[in-house]
Amino acid sequence: MNITPSSAIAFILVLLIAPAVAGVATRTKSVLTGRQGAPALQLYFDLWKLVRRGAVFSETTTWVFRLAPAAMVATTVLAATLLPLDGRMSFIRFSGDAVAFAYVLGLGRFLLVLAALDTGSSFEGMGASREVTFASLVEVGLFLSFGTLVVVTRELSLSGMLGMPFAHHWAANAPALVMISIGLFALLLAECSRVPVDDPSTHLELTMVHEVMVLDHSGPDLALILYGSALKLAVLGALVVSVLIPRGGLPAAGSLAVLGGGLLAIGVGVGIVEATMARLRLPKVALYLAGASSLALFSLILVLWTPA
Amino acid sequence: MILLFIGLGMVVSAAVAALVVRGDALRDRVFATLVVAGAGLASVPAFRVLGGAGHLAARWPSGLPGGDLSIGIDPLSAVFLLAALAVGAANAVYGAADMRAGATARISRQANAAYAVLVVTLALVVTAQSVLLFLSAWEMMAISSFLLIMTDHHQAHVRRAGFIYLVATHTGTLLLFVMFAVWSRGAADWSFASLAAARPTLMWGGGPLFLLALAGFGVKAGFVPLHFWLPPAHAASPSHVSALMSGIVIKTGIYGILRVVMLAGAPPAWWAWIVLLLGALSAVLGVLWALAQHDIKRLLAYHSVENIGIILIGIGLGALGTAYHHPMLAILGYGAAVLHTVNHALFKSLLFMSAGAVYRMTSTCNMEELGGIAPRMPITFAVFLVGSIAIIGVPPLNGFVSEWLVFQGLFRAGYSSSALRIALLGAPILALVGGLALACFAKAAGVVFLGRPRSARPLAAREVGPAFLFPQLALAAICVAIGLMPAAILRPFLFVGATIAGEPQAQLATAWADVAPDAQHIAVFATALLLVAAVIWAGRRLVLHRRSVRSDATWSSGYGATTSRMQYTASSFAAPLLSVFGPLTGVQEHRGATVFHSVPRDLILDRVVAPLWAYVRRSALRLRPIQDGRLHFYLVYVVATVLAFLTYLVVTQ
Repeated sequence: MNITPSSAIAFILVLLIAPAVAGVATRTKSVLTGRQGAPALQLYFDLWKLVRRGAVFSETTTWVFRLAPAAMVATTVLAATLLPLDGRMSFIRFSGDAVAFAYVLGLGRFLLVLAALDTGSSFEGMGASREVTFASLVEVGLFLSFGTLVVVTRELSLSGMLGMPFAHHWAANAPALVMISIGLFALLLAECSRVPVDDPSTHLELTMVHEVMVLDHSGPDLALILYGSALKLAVLGALVVSVLIPRGGLPAAGSLAVLGGGLLAIGVGVGIVEATMARLRLPKVALYLAGASSLALFSLILVLWTPA
Repeated sequence: MILLFIGLGMVVSAAVAALVVRGDALRDRVFATLVVAGAGLASVPAFRVLGGAGHLAARWPSGLPGGDLSIGIDPLSAVFLLAALAVGAANAVYGAADMRAGATARISRQANAAYAVLVVTLALVVTAQSVLLFLSAWEMMAISSFLLIMTDHHQAHVRRAGFIYLVATHTGTLLLFVMFAVWSRGAADWSFASLAAARPTLMWGGGPLFLLALAGFGVKAGFVPLHFWLPPAHAASPSHVSALMSGIVIKTGIYGILRVVMLAGAPPAWWAWIVLLLGALSAVLGVLWALAQHDIKRLLAYHSVENIGIILIGIGLGALGTAYHHPMLAILGYGAAVLHTVNHALFKSLLFMSAGAVYRMTSTCNMEELGGIAPRMPITFAVFLVGSIAIIGVPPLNGFVSEWLVFQGLFRAGYSSSALRIALLGAPILALVGGLALACFAKAAGVVFLGRPRSARPLAAREVGPAFLFPQLALAAICVAIGLMPAAILRPFLFVGATIAGEPQAQLATAWADVAPDAQHIAVFATALLLVAAVIWAGRRLVLHRRSVRSDATWSSGYGATTSRMQYTASSFAAPLLSVFGPLTGVQEHRGATVFHSVPRDLILDRVVAPLWAYVRRSALRLRPIQDGRLHFYLVYVVATVLAFLTYLVVTQ
């Protein structure tokens, strides 16, 4: 563990503004589609309301159903400890921590999927099935992107890849890095259940993916899931921001400001996509993910075949 | 070394005890105690070797061709020996209880005796240091596991599985005979040490020999496309036999490949690329086919194919490291392969045992008939979940540690300057495998244990007894311990890796200096994960404590008359993901107005091996007329053969 003041502040910043990032996305969509819409900070009020509520549990469920929301938030928080959020150093850093980053999010997803199957509901089984389908295809693109970063920076940890000296790699490898940034943003939309893969605002169970998995959660558990989803968006957003805007050279305060601004910009980007695109038919999603992965594959080929 | 012999002697006496002791309860207790105590004693020298005590060896003059019989424990033997003994002991306890609950006294005596013999032969296979002893132990292992597979031989599918296994294993053994025969032509005798010394006499740098070893040992290891015997055999065997087969028996194939690499010296680069490619193929197809299965034991068996693939990726990386003079990669690759071998032995045995407990209670392995087991068998569910989290390779359990090590190798290969860096493309493939494995175990755990019972079978399920649970809890505890304290176990595995790669002590020290801090950080990460989860869990409990909490029916859009048939099934859960991969999965889907189910087929067994076998049979029948049972024809054959040999002798002199 290496906790510096700037990394601690960045970490707390991400934990705190995560609901706002999701809120900004919704707000952007409302503005662009000419609707009144909810305020950007609506999610904070929702969370506060839910925490004070009681809970109803399905009679079919076991302890897995109760454990999953807490585990999902915990795994997302741990994923955040691996990212150099202040542009310099993460809390926990080791060679190959990118693997831990992707896999610890996988653990959260695994438990949430089991919680969905725990209810014995056909809707939630459907959501769970779709979730694992898309998630396993997302992994490919994610690791192709990590692979590109490894080759470009010759570093094995996320802090090494995205930390201090990252800026000068942009000079030599701009095309590859632009491609993986776009690819990562496309994967983020899938991983965080956003248009064009999933629609968080749909009201019909049959068309849902993530939302339908958590139909039976209520009260504080639902609050944990909503917060966990928002945090996942913020953490993956922070990954995209770190690749796109190297912050190692900036002073600590500037780096934090760029992070905050970048995350809100990610929210705006998600909102713009939601306002301008319809969601894809489910069989097309695999093609969408393959497209995102092939961007990362091309960037990897580019850097592998460039003489070092 | 003497402890090894005493220990194995006790396991042999367990086999005798299983046959002769009267009284069911007493017999099982004596059997289990002898196996566990024997395994405990026999493991002591292995621990000493891994601790750096040097190699142990013993030899006896045999009077047979090929020189002395010799046994020895070097680091490679030690690690496989430990895995075999640990998994063997755990499954002996479980197996005795399981056989007593489900088989007649006669069958369970025979099965227990064969089981003890199998454990001893496994120990001999991994410690033999001469060809004759190795091949004898190899053959005894094949036969005793064949007998165990055939335990329920009154069922047709069991006989078929046993037969396919017997043919496959003997084909592999035949290849091994050829390999050792070719190799020993230039050697002084048939001991492994002489074979190693005969290294320079090998044709084409040993290339053909590596291919023979890969194919011969590959049949046992069961990578694609040589895996075809594995799923039927695992589904047909009693659960503890499946556990030992999947955990250890198929790993003797991996042991064999690694032993040949050690003895024949550095393999050529093309061989390493082949292994890497086969590994990637096995991993992806194995997990894909696993996802298509609805029989829980077949599903687990296909996962062994996947994990063998991951192990092969590790071996391929190690061999590439030697070929491209990258010592760090060689040590990491081989170390990762061996660690994953051990990890897989632990969690796969665990999973087979819990699946077997479910089978014992419900009499079915068909996932479409299960569901709702978790509240009825809470401890079995908990250990199955531990095994699942371990096998999908996510933190904080042991599966993550070995997969992380493989990824390390792939990434490190990626930024080297030679052609080696193409190996980096293995990383996204391994990640895809991880994602698919997650889907597959979400299906296995979710459909078998959670939701509502899909038939009347799960209704009768009750938690199994302590003899079933203790071995599982012990294996689960090791999985958790390795996951939380990787620093404590990584060093011996890198030591083994360095031994296989033939790297000097100095390189091992460099590699360890590189990996040790990472292992510490993984421990911190895993512990932090558990702590954060515990804090959030406690906070949630505190909040809920003061609120109203009640139970009600699952949300069903207000319909209110849902039945268990409306749940997602094993078929429907896997369908969207399988459809992405099209005909590669081999499933046939049946859709109707009220039903949807899919039937998995093994592409290799049904499309390649079975037609090939039918062709061989037809051709063999055409030769039938030469065997018509009349003596004078046979005399003619004998005379003709002798004449042919004599002619050969005359011509060649």
